Amino acid sequence: MKKTNPSFLNGVPELLVLRLLSGREMYGYQIVEAIRTQTREALSFGEGCIYPYLHYLEAEKQVSSRRRDVDGRSRNYYKLTARGRKRLDELTCEWNRVTTGVSLLMEGQHA
Amino acid sequence: MPDTDFIEQLRGRLVELGCPKAHVRRLVREVAEHREDLKQAAVLEGLSGADAESQANAQLGDPIALAEHLMVAVRRSSWLGRHFVVTFSLLPLLAFPVLWLLLMIIELSLGFALGFGWDYKKLHVAAINPVANHHINIALRSMDYAAITLVALLFCWLARRSAVSAKWMVTSCAICSFYALVTYGRVEPHSFTMGFITSTAGIPPIHQCIKATIPLLIAGVFYVFQRRAKHELRRNATA
Repeated sequence: MKKTNPSFLNGVPELLVLRLLSGREMYGYQIVEAIRTQTREALSFGEGCIYPYLHYLEAEKQVSSRRRDVDGRSRNYYKLTARGRKRLDELTCEWNRVTTGVSLLMEGQHA
Repeated sequence: MPDTDFIEQLRGRLVELGCPKAHVRRLVREVAEHREDLKQAAVLEGLSGADAESQANAQLGDPIALAEHLMVAVRRSSWLGRHFVVTFSLLPLLAFPVLWLLLMIIELSLGFALGFGWDYKKLHVAAINPVANHHINIALRSMDYAAITLVALLFCWLARRSAVSAKWMVTSCAICSFYALVTYGRVEPHSFTMGFITSTAGIPPIHQCIKATIPLLIAGVFYVFQRRAKHELRRNATA
């Protein structure tokens, strides 16, 4: 499995993390696993490297965090804020625009 | 590698790289929890405790490399860290005169309010009196020193906060030091002057030279504290 993702995917991690957190509160390990499994291992975050990224999103007030005890384990759970939701909407629109454009071009090449 | 070794190596390298303490604490705690999750997942897959630990270590990789990777991510996560050349070499050049002037105005206003109750007449009378004038100039010089100190502290704090290397902290303090050498404030009977020494002839007065050493001393103190923190960590790790 690739440990690093191609450079044209800049900005995609933000979209993925915000999208995952829009559904429910999650902690770092869960986010890494969800990205790996839900993208069928096409994309992956380096283990441990998710944390500075989450801290950055928190500093940008796109996510908030709190300590929570679940099943005797204490972890930092992250959840989307109103600002994060707005950012997610922007990124989703941008992503749809780009993928539609790329798909049209690819289909044109094959036609 | 036992749990404590992995975590201590990670912590040690983060401190060595100049990662701020709050970041180190939080990153180490979260990576340790992540490692525990990887171990538990491996145990659920049917691996023994030792094998699960080896698998978790393999997934996280070398703790030194991980710390370096984390550090790059920490630096990139702030605007200051991403634009460290601008922040610590160009920004002090532009921001120093503004910050210094602002701090001097605040301090002078406070001094004027507390010392003379906003009464210009009292100030003029004091300025004519040689002894009072001397005291006013000492107070003014102290304010100048305080302003220089605050600006240098601000840049050192920004450098620590954005986790850039010590050389950038020293660069910004060297720029502050240069400005300290050429800025002045002086009270004379019926006049108050503040600005930049423009003449290149001769050596700056001794108090200007003393003032110029303040930012360098502050950078030195920050550097020594950082070194001490690293040594302390190494001692704790080997103990």
